[in-house]
This record gives sequence, structure tokens and C-alpha cells, in this order.
Amino acid sequence: MIPKLCYFLKLLVFIILNNLILKLKLNIDGLLVYFPYDYIYPEQYSYMLELKRTLDAKGHGVLEMPSGTGKTISLLSLIVAYQKAYPLEVTKLVYCSRTVPEIEKVFNIIYIFITHCIINSYFKIAFQIHFSSVKYLSFLALRFGKEVDGKCHSLTASYIRAQHHSNPSQPVCQFYEEFDAVGRQVPIPPGIYNLDDLKDFGRRKGWCPYFLARYAILHANIVVYSYHYLLDPKIADLVSKELAKKSVVVFDEAHNIDNVCIDSMSVNITRRTLDRCQTNVETLQNTISRIKETDAAKLREEYSRLVEGLKEANVARETDMYLSNPVLPDEILQEAVPGSIRTAEHFVGFMKRFLEYLKARLRIHHVVQESAPQFLKDIYEKVCIDRKPLRFCAERLRSLLRTLEIADIADFSAITLISHFATLVSTYSKGFTIIIEPFEDRTPTIANPVLHFSCMDPSIAIKPVFGRFQSVIITSGTLSPLDIYPRILDFRPVTVASFTMTLARTCLCPLIVGRGNDQVAMTSKFETREDFAVIRNYGNLLLEMSAIVPDGIVAFFTSYIYMENIVASWYEQGILENIQRNKLIFIETQDAAETSMALEKYQEACENGRGAILLSVARGKVSEGIDFVHHYGRAVIMFGVPYVYTQSRILKARLEYLRDQFQIRENDFLTFDAMRHAAQCVGRAIRGKTDYGLMIFADKRYARADKRGKLPRWIQEHLTDGSLNLTIDETVQLGKHFLRQMAQPFRQEDQLGLSLLTLEQLQSEDMLQKIAQIAQQA
Amino acid sequence: MDEEPERAKRWEGGYERTWEVLKEDESGSLKATVEDILFQAKRKRVFESHGQVRLGMMRHLFVIIDSSRSMEDHDLKPNRLTSTLKLMEYFVEEYFDQNPISQIGIITTKNKRAEKLTDLAGNPKKHTAALKKAVDSTCVGEPSLYNSLNLAMQTLKHMPAHTSKEILVVFSSLTTCDPANIYELIKALNGLKIRVSVIGLSAEVRVCTILTRETGGSYNVILDESHFKELLMLHVKPPPASSSSECSLIRMGFPQHVIASMSDQDAKPSFSMSHLDSAGEPELTLGGYYCPQCRAKYTELPVECKVCGLTLVSAPHLARSFHHLFPLEAFQETPLESYEGERFCEACQGELKDKSVFTCLACKKVFCVECDLFIHDTLHCCPSCMQTDRTS
Repeated sequence: MIPKLCYFLKLLVFIILNNLILKLKLNIDGLLVYFPYDYIYPEQYSYMLELKRTLDAKGHGVLEMPSGTGKTISLLSLIVAYQKAYPLEVTKLVYCSRTVPEIEKVFNIIYIFITHCIINSYFKIAFQIHFSSVKYLSFLALRFGKEVDGKCHSLTASYIRAQHHSNPSQPVCQFYEEFDAVGRQVPIPPGIYNLDDLKDFGRRKGWCPYFLARYAILHANIVVYSYHYLLDPKIADLVSKELAKKSVVVFDEAHNIDNVCIDSMSVNITRRTLDRCQTNVETLQNTISRIKETDAAKLREEYSRLVEGLKEANVARETDMYLSNPVLPDEILQEAVPGSIRTAEHFVGFMKRFLEYLKARLRIHHVVQESAPQFLKDIYEKVCIDRKPLRFCAERLRSLLRTLEIADIADFSAITLISHFATLVSTYSKGFTIIIEPFEDRTPTIANPVLHFSCMDPSIAIKPVFGRFQSVIITSGTLSPLDIYPRILDFRPVTVASFTMTLARTCLCPLIVGRGNDQVAMTSKFETREDFAVIRNYGNLLLEMSAIVPDGIVAFFTSYIYMENIVASWYEQGILENIQRNKLIFIETQDAAETSMALEKYQEACENGRGAILLSVARGKVSEGIDFVHHYGRAVIMFGVPYVYTQSRILKARLEYLRDQFQIRENDFLTFDAMRHAAQCVGRAIRGKTDYGLMIFADKRYARADKRGKLPRWIQEHLTDGSLNLTIDETVQLGKHFLRQMAQPFRQEDQLGLSLLTLEQLQSEDMLQKIAQIAQQA
Repeated sequence: MDEEPERAKRWEGGYERTWEVLKEDESGSLKATVEDILFQAKRKRVFESHGQVRLGMMRHLFVIIDSSRSMEDHDLKPNRLTSTLKLMEYFVEEYFDQNPISQIGIITTKNKRAEKLTDLAGNPKKHTAALKKAVDSTCVGEPSLYNSLNLAMQTLKHMPAHTSKEILVVFSSLTTCDPANIYELIKALNGLKIRVSVIGLSAEVRVCTILTRETGGSYNVILDESHFKELLMLHVKPPPASSSSECSLIRMGFPQHVIASMSDQDAKPSFSMSHLDSAGEPELTLGGYYCPQCRAKYTELPVECKVCGLTLVSAPHLARSFHHLFPLEAFQETPLESYEGERFCEACQGELKDKSVFTCLACKKVFCVECDLFIHDTLHCCPSCMQTDRTS
């Protein structure tokens, strides 16, 4: 299961705790914590208290703290201190973040934090070294992760190495051989290792950094990597299965964790996948017949191994040291591969039948939605495929590929995907749904059938993580309402808390604009979104704001289509022209290259005083990963409530499931989802205490209690009754006033004692009382 | 200038939330108001100005006034342009009052261009007249920070190294339309040791922050009209000279005022040399100041001699800028609770009610906050010390 791995594995860090050069020594509830700065924010102290409680109770926690208040450093310093104080209770910190820049940010913080540390990196880069040993591959484009995997596999697979013993002309990877020979015995020197460090280390020693990293994870004190290594069963099996039970797992920026879980368990099959799969099957068949002529013993040997059953995996399981893999549920291991697919030809025949069946299913003209048992029943009736062999599909394919010694597995992604689907669909009867759509909703005339095998229950993927590790911390700047995450992820946290931002000056100004100057309600509600007056009012709002807000404004729309429509009619009404007198306009598109270009130019325009507006889409690339610090985002305008596309069948099925299983009403979930994205969008502008920005919610529906109540506490706190349902000119006046206030000189001394504490200030009685109010238990 | 700015009708004004100003700050900590911080800053200025620092007494200052579209905004009454020009007139007067041997020039920028309203000169009258005339000009287009800074730089770069070269930008717009990369220009300004300060009329603009930070100037954004005036007045005081600027002796002339009586037959009415660059009709006068070097006649001081280039000043002018060099020492601040003694201010005789009281280090008399500021900003001497001096 090596493919994908190099796609996802991003960074690993290893820290040995010594030589701490730290400035502040805090006493958190009896634990000595080293803090690397001279000052501490009150909310950081409070956060650490809650975290300590969670670790003491050996339970899970959900903690919300605004971005820019030093979540990461608080987490690191407390957990590291805990590790140091109770080395037997907590052995390892596994820090998961979402995107590469975020992971790198964490890394930098660790650098600040600790002087002396260990390993690792980008596996794609790691592979580069891998190849330098083999000249003809040295210029392989790294972009194609799968190919790299395939080539790597062709040099390091066990049978290749076995062949090498008998036939030295068979190329093998020197780096791996070297590592295999000595690497495991030699301890890695303590230190922090990121991608490049590991690469260097590997090059010096002549060891393969990829395998070195996989091995080193076991010994590291801190590991930083992407979510997928823990959540995606296909990769977690390889990377994370040997992590000790006493690890603390932190999911940072976890407001979208349910979607990550769902994505990792879902499969989409198009006609193209099936066609490619067809070719794969043919290749397999040819290979089998060839091998049969030359080396029939090999196939017989495999057969007998399968009769024996999957004993090895079973042994590993009993010791409880491995992460249970959802694709391999408990019962499967106690049985041998069923007789009907044990021989290679039978299995290929079986795959063919299965493929034909899927093709037939995709040849429909209406939408079909069915549950997994229904699908299984249907497949049994139509092509006589039982549930049991389906379940072994993935495992059997793996074994076959190994036996056939197909080194380059890159081409077999299609058939692997199909086999995953087969295993999943036959394993889980609950929590999944199958939807076959003959065409996309937006283009009903073009036939493009897709089979969605969609997971509706995020708790399935995350359950092994919660079950296995003693403490799992879920944290982010926007997790409100806090109670919904434990429900949809199905776990029981010991602490659920939300922290506010203590501020020396009110640096955020949330405003809800509900009406235009003509008193027409502004809303992106479906019935009125095409309304001329609404569009004009939205245009006027942007125009007025562009005249009073300096430098950068980021405006978010609910969807690309809506944005296109609005911008088109603004153009016709001449609003765009007026806006362009004040600021330049940039637009995010679905094309990543175009968007990053726009973003770059946007930042340039903010930098040199021309001023710019970035029109983008909630849930888009800009809304998720890009920060608009200081002048890059002095105002964020959220046009409308970013509800997800409610007509999607997958969403409908999920809502239904949530209602039946978790008693979460459809509307609650939709609102929750919309508000977390809205909060995420507006939160882009405030990235710290010295930063300031306007947050404008341009939809009258935000003023309702059910929407407002779902915003994070640190935004809600500043949303007074006076800033609800404003008109455009009221907004302009308030904005102007706010921006002037914020432009007054603001120094660090002004923050001291209020939102920035020294050790003495922290220890004073009334400050401790104030700190107690910062955390709000949900 | 002392009158209240004329208030527009309520309905003409913008949306205001007057009740919020009155809001009590109950928590006392979470919402330290901006005014409080501002007050602290004000106090700080008093402290900063003290100590023996070398001041750039001979200043060459270019004031750049933004006259773009945004100057028509009505948030200053009657509009930003009129209000700014009015304050500028006052500023020019004050400036020459405090810096008699300095010069000033005015540049306006609109429609992506910059033009010189007045050249660098030491005569307040000409500037005030130009400012008065500018009130009627229309505000159009966008300003160009680059063009105006460049224009000012072209003149300032020829000024001798011992003078303090400054640019003050009154920037109303939030955008600037530049023909080239402004960061290159900032580097050039920095190299020429030209100090650029900005007063923003609407909000903090990034490029101004960088501009002022790089060139060592100050950047402030106004809250309202009175704050605007206050910020302008900050620029009246000469800034500390950078340590690297040269020291040199300058030749100055102190011409005597010669008054010829009408009865004197020898006296002939003559033209003042200053008419050379003024467009108005030259006037014949009898008396005047005569340059000690070349005997050219001038009716007003201070002035640079048109013929021999000598700086002509009068002694009182120099004396007036004296207090900048020997400022009054800051008073000691003590909280009211810990202060024991009579609870009234020495100067205004009012009761001491504020959080802290201020004690003069020389005579040990106490003052309230307002009087403390007044003494340091305006009087430049302690009234009670003066009294004791006289009696003793």
C-alpha cells in the first residue's frame, strides 16, 4: 500500500528534551512549564490549565482558542513539560495539522522552542535522493508521486532484493540496502529534523531517508505530520500503526476534521476508472498466463499461503500494539481467503465479473441511491458475487500483485481503487451510502455517470484513533458550537472549553449589515438572490467600503456561480468601474495557478498603497489556508451565508443519517456548517493581537440568534446589539470610526498587564481570577 | 481659528453613536479606551522632549497637501480641504513663530500629478496667501505620493547638510497612483536623510507606515478636527537633529531697521528687493532693513538676501527659538492617593481630582494634569518658580 504515501507524508519531527533555553518558568497546577517568551497571554495560561486537566484525566478534549493567541506554543510547552515530568504517562506527542504551510509554521515554533532535536521530511524529496543511486532515474519528475512510489517499489520490494542475492546484476536501491544493513541499530542523534535535515542526514550516511523516517517515528518524542497519516486507513496502517498507546494526539485546525474523515473513507468511481481498471485486469491476466508457463510453482505457493490464512496480521493484532484498520475489521483476520478467489485465475475472473457489474450499474439514466446491503443483494442476484469474497478483494489483490512480482504498481491505481471499494462496501453495512448519478446536476445533457460510495459517519474513520490513544486533543480557532463535534465524531471528551481573546483594545469589529440605504433587506437567500435590489445593495456596500478601508479588502461569496452572477451584474450597473477608482479588483477562480497569481498581485497592490479587493469564495482555497495579516486584510466582507449546496444527494443522505443516528436536525447541521465556514472566512483577517480588522457579515440572517449563537465566542463577545441589522451608511460610519481608532499608535507597553503578562503579573490574585473567566466550559 | 468650527445641521452629519462616548468602562481593564492610551502618549511627549538633544533648528520643510477626490469628504467641517487649509494657515504662522530661521514650501497633489503651490521660502505671508487661494480649487482624481515626494526631493536634495530636511504629508486618500516603485524612492529619501512624516485623515495606510518608519518620521491618523490640529502642532517643534548631520557655522546678518522721516530731503522712496519674486505691484517705501553686506533693502524679516544670499534675521527671532534648546524639566508624577498636602493646583487653584498629580522638581509645587500640559506646551517655564525668583 505504498502509493499515496508520498503524497501525504509531509513532515515528521523528533525531539529529545534537553538543553532548554527558556525564559519563563510557569507553575501550571503543580507542573513546571517552560515557556520560551518573556511574556504570556492570559488565555494561554488558561488554555494550559485546561490542557493539563485533560492529560491528567487521560481523556479527550475539545478546545477553542482564537488564532493568533499562541495555541501551538501553549500546546507544545505544556505537553513537553508533561512528558518530562511524567515520562511513563505520556511518551509521545503526535501533532497533526492540515496543510503544508501550517505544518511548517508548527515546525518553526518548535525551532524557537527547543535547541536540540531530530528528524524529517517531505517524502517526495526524500525519494529524490533515493534515485540518485540509479542513474537512469535521476531526472524523474517528482511531480508524479505515484510514479516515484512505483519506481521505489521496483527497487526495494522484497522479491527484488531476494533476486539481487542470486543475481547481482538486478538493480537495487543502495540507499535502502545500506539502511537495512545498519540503520536500525544506530541511534539517530537527538535534534529537530525537517525535510531538508533528514535529506542531508540520509545523504551523509547513505541511508534512505524515507525508510529512516518511518523507523524513526517510533523513537521520536514529537512527531508533526498531516491528518491523513492517522485518519486515512490506507496510510495509517503503514505509517502510524506502531505508535504507542500513551501518545497524546493533537489535531490542530480541526474545524474540518469530519470532512477529512469522510473523504478518507469515500470512493468515487467514474466510467474512466472502470476503463482503466479493465486494462489492468487484462494485464493481470496476461501476466498470470505467462507466469503459469514459466513458474507455476510460485502461484501454487501463493495458493497454499492463502489457505493458511492471514496469520501474521492476526498475531500482531492480539498484542494491541497496532492501530486497528477499518478496512480490515476484526473478523476478517480469523478467516482464510475464501476458496472462490484463491487461485489467481479465479480471482481475475471474479474481478472481471465485478467490473462488468459496475459498468452495467453506471449505464443508467436516473439517479439511484441505495444502502450497502441493498447493493450486495443486487450484486448477488445479478452476477452471483457473495459478500465474503468481496471483503477479501483488497487483500487478495495485494497478494496477487506481490506474487506476480509486478514491480511498477503505479499503473494499478484503478484496480486498487475498485478493490478498496469492494472491501469497504461489503464490510460496512451502516454509515455508508451508494449514489449513482448519470449526469451532473449542472449539465443534465452530458452523460457522465459517477458512482459515489460515500461515507456519512466521520466517527468510523476516527474511532480507532480515539480508542487507541489515551488523549486526543481537538483544537482550532473556530469550533463553535462546541457540543456538536463530540456528537458527530462520537466520543466523550473530558474537557470542552472555549477561550476568548483578552485585548488591550478592541481590535476586531464585527458588524452585521442587513439592509441597504434603500431599506431593502440584503440576503443571499435563494428566493431573493437574483433580485436586482439585493445585488445593487451588495455592490454599494463594497463600493462604500472600498472608499474607507485602507489597503486590502477580502470579500467572500457563497459560491463561484453566485460570485460570477453578481460580478457580471455589477459590471452592467457600472459599480465595478466605481470600485476600481478606489481599489484594484482580483478574483479567485477554480484554477489554482490563476488564483495564486491573483493573490500575489493582490498582496503587491496592498503593499505599495494602491489598495486592492480580493473576491473569493467561502470553502475555496483562499478561505481555508491563506492568512491576511495586517494590511493584507483590513476588512473582510462575507456576502451571504455560506450554506453548502443543499441539493447535493450526498449531503442529503448525510443529513438524513445524522438525524437518524445522532439526533442532529438537518437545519442545525446546515447552520453549523455554514457558520463555521463564515467564521473561518472572517477569521482570516485577525491573526494576532496587534492586528485589527473589520468583519462585515452582509446578510440579515446573521442577526438571528440561531446564527449569531453559533459564531465563536471571541467574535460573539464583540458583537453588540447595536451592531446588528445595520444599513450601509451606518456601517460606513462605524467602520470609519473604528479604523481611525485603530490607527492610533499602539505599543507593547499598552498591552502589558492587560493582555500580556509577566510572571509577577500572572501570579497576582485578581489576575488569576480574571484568567478563570477566560475559559468557558461548554 | 479660535472659534468653534461651524456645525452642520444634524441631518447633514454622518451617523453617530453619541451614547457610546458616555459609556462607562466597568471592567476597567478589558476595554482600555483609545483616549486613555492617547493621553498617555501626550504625557510621554513631554518627557521625550527633555534632555539636552541637538535640534535641527534650521528647517527646510515641504508640506504636501493631498487635494484628491477624497478631500471633498464632509467628515471634517465643512469639508476636508477647507478645514485642512485653514489649519495649515495657522500652522504656517506658528511654524515661523517658533522656527524663525526656517523655510517652508507647499506642494499639492491631485489627478495623479503633483504641483508646487509655493516654493521653499521664509516668508509666511506668501504661503498664507497661496493657501487662501487654494480653497477654491476643485478636488479631483487620485493623489500620487511618488510624484509629490519626488518633487519635494528634487528641491531638498540641494539643501546643505546642516539643515534639517523634512517633508510633511497630509494624506487624505487611501490609495496612491504611482508611476514607479515607491520603495525605491523611499530608499533614496532615506539616503538623502530627508525625514518624512505623514498625517492621515482617514485610516492607516501601509505604504505610509513604511515610508515614515524608514525615513524616521512619525505617522499619525486624526480622530477629529481638534486631534488634527494637535498633530499638526507637533510638527511645529524642531525635530532632534540626526547625529550624523554636520555642524557648521552659518553667516547671518542682523540688519538694522532704518526709518527715514518724510521731512528728510535726502531720503528717497525705494523698492524692497522682495518684490522680485512676488507677482503683485511693487510698493515704494521709505524705510526698511538694509543687508549689512550688500545694502539691499527689505521690508520684512526673516529673509534670505536676494543679492548676496545672506540670511537676514533679527535677534528676537533667534531668542524665540531658545526655549526649544532649554526646555522645562518634566514634573514628577505621583498618584493622588499617595500625595499628602494641599489638594489644589498651584496654577489654576482648582481641586485636584485626577488620578495623579504633578510636582515641579525645583519649587515642589503641585499641578493638575491640564496645567502640567499647559506649562510644558505653551508657557515653557514654571509659574511658581518664576514668582519665587522675583521675590528672592
